[in-house]
Amino acid sequence: MMQTLLLAGAAESLDPLAWTIVVVGVGIVFLSLLIVYIFFRYILTFILNFKLKSFARKKGIDPAEALTAKTIQSGEVNAAIAMALYRYFNELHDVESGVITIKRVSRHYSPWSSKLYNMNNL
Amino acid sequence: MLALLVITSLAWLAFVKPEHDRQKAQAESGIEISAALPQYQPDNQPEEGFLEGLKQFWAFTGFRNVTSGHLIMIMVGLIFIFLAIRYEYEPLLLIPIGTGILIGNIPLFTDGGMNLQVGIYQQGSVLNYLYFGVLKGVYPPLIFLGIGAMTDFSSLISNPRLLLLGAAAQMGIFITFIGALLLGFAPPEAGAIGIIGGADGPTAIFISSRLANGMNLLADGTPVKNLIGPIAIAAYSYMALVPVIQPPIMRLLTNKKERLIRMKPPRAVTKTEKILFPIFGLLLTCFISPSALPLLGMLFFGNILKESGVTKRLAETARTSLIDIVTIMIGLTVGASTQADVFLTKESILIFALGATAFAIATSSGVLFAKTMNLFLPEGNKINPLIGNSGVSAVPDSARVSEVEGLKADKTNHLLMHAMGPNVAGVIGSAIAAGILLSYLG
Repeated sequence: MMQTLLLAGAAESLDPLAWTIVVVGVGIVFLSLLIVYIFFRYILTFILNFKLKSFARKKGIDPAEALTAKTIQSGEVNAAIAMALYRYFNELHDVESGVITIKRVSRHYSPWSSKLYNMNNL
Repeated sequence: MLALLVITSLAWLAFVKPEHDRQKAQAESGIEISAALPQYQPDNQPEEGFLEGLKQFWAFTGFRNVTSGHLIMIMVGLIFIFLAIRYEYEPLLLIPIGTGILIGNIPLFTDGGMNLQVGIYQQGSVLNYLYFGVLKGVYPPLIFLGIGAMTDFSSLISNPRLLLLGAAAQMGIFITFIGALLLGFAPPEAGAIGIIGGADGPTAIFISSRLANGMNLLADGTPVKNLIGPIAIAAYSYMALVPVIQPPIMRLLTNKKERLIRMKPPRAVTKTEKILFPIFGLLLTCFISPSALPLLGMLFFGNILKESGVTKRLAETARTSLIDIVTIMIGLTVGASTQADVFLTKESILIFALGATAFAIATSSGVLFAKTMNLFLPEGNKINPLIGNSGVSAVPDSARVSEVEGLKADKTNHLLMHAMGPNVAGVIGSAIAAGILLSYLG
């Protein structure tokens, strides 16, 4: 209790500049990040959407459809697509025709298949 | 031959080197220090000369100059190394800092103000040159460059409202600033102590090197205290202890229902957005708080290197070799700056107490602000308050704490990607707060 009173007394005797620093400091930190938030949430989104719409118009796509396609796209969807493609391309070699072909080689003569060398000449 | 070499080396160490150092130090400092040392007298008998030489050698050893303060600090250094190896608490920082503490607390012969040019505070020593980077705030911006080249701002760009959590957590800095003033610290010292609440080691070092460096003068003509060592050690220690400090506060301030909130998955971010974020982030934040330029400028520069896609080599260097080199330098020199006579003071204990309070306030502010935001957000778009703690800029430790706590409540609810948003926003926020403190108190 005594300590609380002492601290309260000390708080009153603090330099007014200290309170100014706190109020201005907290205010500026919030303001700075708020401005960045507003910029990226509204201004940049507006610019990018505008760009997307004009691109869609050029390509003859409905701008509203292009915007919806952009907004529903999430990192998880991308990850799933990427994984599917990865697995598809990695498993390509597993898809075989199932036909085993032995290519016959006909040669006139080869000592490896010579009947003469495979028999005991008694 | 080997024996002769050993004897020659010992003789050089015992007789010639101390005398050479003494004369050099005397010439540099202009202080007569001969009275402090046992002297070699050429007129003495050879045995006496040998004994005098041995005494002189003994006078220079650490065993003769050791104090209880040195031993305590060596124990602290050993504990840091133990924590880093045994529990892997921030080993990349605690190993250099712990070893630095050992190096900085090897007892040196300083009788009569002798300068052996060995210790970190002795002018002309190698460690003193390396310490220049801390003292003049060279290392922290380089660390920020590396952090920028490592950081992916996608989660923040996809959900920019999380920026506000990074701002809320900076309350710890300003409340601790008031606390330090109440405990009798001068305003620049209080500002440097307050920045511990930002949970950002490089920023803490940067600000303390500017505000509490032992060189600046206060209005009444007295110099400010040198608090770089205690502030840096407190900041890094608490950063290492984030997984211990934050979870109880997070659990205390949230209920089961809030911990179960599922957040929307972040949308994919285009390359254009990723490039524009550091450019506009740099311009907007530095126009508002130009004093934060050395930190924010380098942070966003590093990120431009990464996201531009055409400077891969530079980005790779900044996020690997460069940041590793600077981390070694900063860790070692900050550790070595904790010499017992500078570090073991009443102020250090107060700084540690204030640092713990700062961390607790920063964590609470982030969590409570997330809960406040939820009051205004529609159902299905709410924020899990467990990511509020990530507003402190201990990257990525505090985000990892959010993930772990989220999984404890719901094994399928992953919060890591969401928590990275306020986490990197906290880095920006603490740098802005540091800039404001500098502009008022620097």
